[in-house]
Amino acid sequence: MAEFSLKADAFLGGFHKDYGTVVVTEVTDRAIASFALPLGGEAQAEKTIKSVLKLDLPSVGTAAQSEDGATTLLRLGKDQLFCLMDKQPDGHGAHRALSEKLAGTVFTTDQSDVWVSLTIRGPDSLRALERICPIDLHPGSFEVGALARTVMEHLGTVIIRNSDDEYTLMSASSSAKSFLHAIETSIENVL
Amino acid sequence: MSQSFRISGGLIDRSSPMHFTFNGKRMEGYAGDTLASALLANGQKLVGRSFKYHRPRGILSAGPEEPNALVQLRTGAAQEPNTRATVAELFDGLSATSQNHRGSLEFDLMAITDLAAPFLSAGFYYKTFMWPKAFWEKLYEPMIRASAGLGTLSMKEDPDTYDKGFLHCDLLIIGAGPSGLIAALTAARSGARVILADEDFRLGGRLNSETFALDDMEGGIWAEQVAAELQSLSNVRIMTRTTVYGAYDHGVFGALERVTDHLKSSGGKPRQILWRIYSKRSLLCAGATERPIAFSNNDRPGIMLAGAVRSYVNRFGVAPGKNVTVFTNNDDGWRTASDLIAKGVTVRALIDVRDGVSPPDLYGTEVITGGRIIDTAGRKALSSITLKNGRKITTDCLAVSGGWNPTVHLTCHQRGKPVWNEDILAFVPSGVLPEGMRVAGAANGVFGLSSALQGASEVTAGILTDLGMSSKAAALPVAEDEAQSGIAFWHVKESKKRAWVDLQNDVTVKDIKLSYQEGFRSVEHLKRYSTLGMATDQGKTSNIAGLAILAECSGKTISETGTTIFRPPYTPVPIGALAGRARGKDFRPYRLTPSHRWAEANGATFVETGNWMRAQWFARAGEKGWRDSVDREVEMTRASVGICDVTTLGKIDIQGKDAAEFLNHVYTNAFLKLPVGKVRYGLMLREDGIAYDDGTTARLGENHFVMTTTTANAVLVFRRLEFARQCLWPNLDVHLISTTDGWAQFAVAGPNARNLLAKVVDAPFDLSNEAFPFMACAEVSVCGGTPARLFRISFSGELAYEIAVPAKYGNSMMDVLMKAGAEFNAVPYGTEALGVMRIEKGHAAGNELNGQTTALNLGLGGFVSSKKDCIGKTLSQRPELNLPDAIRLVGFKPVNSSDALLAGSHFITKGDAATMENDQGWMSSVAYSPTLGHSIGLGFIKRGHERMGEVVRVVNPARGVEVEAEIVSPHFYDPEGGLQRG
Repeated sequence: MAEFSLKADAFLGGFHKDYGTVVVTEVTDRAIASFALPLGGEAQAEKTIKSVLKLDLPSVGTAAQSEDGATTLLRLGKDQLFCLMDKQPDGHGAHRALSEKLAGTVFTTDQSDVWVSLTIRGPDSLRALERICPIDLHPGSFEVGALARTVMEHLGTVIIRNSDDEYTLMSASSSAKSFLHAIETSIENVL
Repeated sequence: MSQSFRISGGLIDRSSPMHFTFNGKRMEGYAGDTLASALLANGQKLVGRSFKYHRPRGILSAGPEEPNALVQLRTGAAQEPNTRATVAELFDGLSATSQNHRGSLEFDLMAITDLAAPFLSAGFYYKTFMWPKAFWEKLYEPMIRASAGLGTLSMKEDPDTYDKGFLHCDLLIIGAGPSGLIAALTAARSGARVILADEDFRLGGRLNSETFALDDMEGGIWAEQVAAELQSLSNVRIMTRTTVYGAYDHGVFGALERVTDHLKSSGGKPRQILWRIYSKRSLLCAGATERPIAFSNNDRPGIMLAGAVRSYVNRFGVAPGKNVTVFTNNDDGWRTASDLIAKGVTVRALIDVRDGVSPPDLYGTEVITGGRIIDTAGRKALSSITLKNGRKITTDCLAVSGGWNPTVHLTCHQRGKPVWNEDILAFVPSGVLPEGMRVAGAANGVFGLSSALQGASEVTAGILTDLGMSSKAAALPVAEDEAQSGIAFWHVKESKKRAWVDLQNDVTVKDIKLSYQEGFRSVEHLKRYSTLGMATDQGKTSNIAGLAILAECSGKTISETGTTIFRPPYTPVPIGALAGRARGKDFRPYRLTPSHRWAEANGATFVETGNWMRAQWFARAGEKGWRDSVDREVEMTRASVGICDVTTLGKIDIQGKDAAEFLNHVYTNAFLKLPVGKVRYGLMLREDGIAYDDGTTARLGENHFVMTTTTANAVLVFRRLEFARQCLWPNLDVHLISTTDGWAQFAVAGPNARNLLAKVVDAPFDLSNEAFPFMACAEVSVCGGTPARLFRISFSGELAYEIAVPAKYGNSMMDVLMKAGAEFNAVPYGTEALGVMRIEKGHAAGNELNGQTTALNLGLGGFVSSKKDCIGKTLSQRPELNLPDAIRLVGFKPVNSSDALLAGSHFITKGDAATMENDQGWMSSVAYSPTLGHSIGLGFIKRGHERMGEVVRVVNPARGVEVEAEIVSPHFYDPEGGLQRG
């Protein structure tokens, strides 16, 4: 038994707030691993990922989710993906387990603590996001399963459309409080 | 004062009376009024004073072009100056005051300047206040500033909040007059995503001010019906009270929405929103702006634009006068007379400058053709006009129409230059338009209602085709093209007195002629010399007349004379709206280190480093100042062990089969053969050979490196690596991702660093010097299984490590390190102590890598490998960067140990004068060294490495300080490095 033990803190203390027509929730048990597809080894990487995760690689700018909803692949670029693994509070451990399965075919990096993740849902979530999100979130332009890297209030952000009125926002964990402030201000300004 | 000028009809809500004050006087209006219409309803004609001569001024227009009726709205901190009364929506409780006068509005002491008018001609301040030279700054300019100007600021913090936002559409329609409405209907029914924006609070544009019929309906009613249908469509966003003020690249527009300006209180919501609208196509339907005619004393309150008079009569149910006279050079003036008569307002005469024209029957109203007004009378409001034949007509309102200018402003925002159209005597948009923009209706020079509707419908169909949509054209309502002929008549040449062209800047016909006489022949020069078309209205009512008079002077046509063009914003945008949320503590986002909470709880003082908030020092009870804290932190670290959160250093995960080769190209020194489990210092150069950034890079695996960068350059270095990866060496298999935020990293430094870490790093990891020597790295675990990374590196010069854990454990890790270190008297230290120790050790930091210095200057010439190429290597070999007397980084210690060295001081060889020619270099970093007991410094001095022991002058003229210092090795502390290797 070690003399000392460490306690994990959620970046926003597990924030959750219901504003009526918008609900914001911090996702605290999600492991995130980045995948880089080796130059010239893309086909093998795709095959291995499919074998391990049972998921085809989504096209750039879209997400693919496993049948049980526990794993989501985000195709951020031609050679870069994020793998979101839900209900995995030990991000590093989840990453390590996954990277071992993918070893040699995909370069992986633990990104679990790099990002703070929030879901924003509800009928007025789009109106709130209009105040900070420069990209077009109209359903015709940003369908369910679409994702984009953008900037909100100076902060780099990944936005994913989970459903008609639910989005996941990921931004740098060090500026989590400023990011939440931006989202809350937007909601308060439109409600 | 009751609403004695209120007449029947209009689009106001008489069931909603509203009270307001003007200069403290209580007045009444109705919902649907503007401040201007309510003032006129109450008989308030005098509303302000002119900019230069403090002449009494009234309301000229009924729209955004207003040059005169600028007022201050609201009170206290919420006071807003220079607001156009003509677009300020009335609300119950509105408080308005006039501006730009000393004393009361009625008795402005500054009106005396009007008497000095002969001395205040165009460009007077360029030529009048020349002597003595010294008086300009101290006397003349303050005097001019005090007497001129518009409103005043409250000098209090704006209590309102502002927001911004982003919108997207297939088609942005700017202006919701008849053209905009029919275009929106067509596009909306065709399935396009439409944004319809109008600065007014009511859709319809001129339809609300005219008596035109569409499909046998009043224009305003037709507009209401179209608006209702548009409101019901989910693909249409109607934005009233929204001014599209700028057209930018790629179909992006700036728009200001005045969300709560029409309410007494914003209720805690943003007062205004600055929208960025991304459009695939845009259609400008901004209508047209009427222009006046210049004649003697044409600036008196009560002299108004004819179209504005129709607006007040038809839309607002207000008669601007009881006895109105119309003065026109075009058919439009006739309609003004007939509308007034229809509303029961007495029209004293219709004066048309044209000969031989036959207006329709005006029920016996006198019609004077070929008429000229050569003077007016009435000190604070118009009382009479005088015709060329000497006849005087008593009148309290003169409606003037000099024709209409298409509102082309947004077409100019990307250098489009309007072209003169002789048929309509106005500038129309050229073929050079902002990307994706089309123009329709009056803005395109199509003034007839029926033609405008037809044209807008056709243009919209074309836009939809461009967008790949099939057009479902809305059926055009039955409408007529109104009579609209006119002649070029800009000013009454028989005028003997001052005739105003630009009412806002007090520019007269004579001023323009004088400017021309003095050599200002270009319209651009004329504008700047005379101030024609400047200030808040940007010459919306004055530009064309000014150009026409310039053309007359030069004997050229207006087309040959040309025009100035417009740039954003179309109308003023408050600074508060531009700032949006970026105020005070929300000016920019903050980044917090993982141990921020621990630091807050333990007395840290924070400093902003970039966006990071870093602990600067940790004060303890009894310490009298920051130096006490910093000295203690340094001493305790060097005596035992100190802990510092260094998470802010950039961390870049680099993987790939070619990662080592990639780093070998990026860094000046070799990385190809760095063993796994080792860390190496690396230096990067810019392409021009100047030092760019430095840091350490650890090799965690054969194809896996972790690079650290300086805090300040973390993002820049990442971008640079991405550029190199994607553009310079796309054939290398290299992958980058930032992990800066993913790991909480702590420096643990001091003789007891190893002993402390031994208590937290899980067994069986061997921390001994033999197993884990200086510049080693490893992936370990701490506190019973938490993954961690351990680096044996030292910035302080001590036996030191950096230990990283996943960021979520960062706060807890700081607590654990302190608890584990309690037996060693461990101390947390901040950036100040970190800085002191790195200066003592002689490490270069941002002060030294300042974008001017090379590896040679930094004493790192040996780090530029001769055996391989790297970014910047070739240009670092330029002769000029390698001169024998190049500056070198060395240490400095004061000859008198009680002297304090100052950063920024310059070095002068003893015996030389302290002049620029004798400058030998500069001091880049200084600190008080508690270890050595005196001030120390790092600096660059010519041939520094050859001048050890020399005493030089350290001169700081800016602070008036000079001391003497000896040149020494930059490595003040443990120069052999035995401690950090121990």
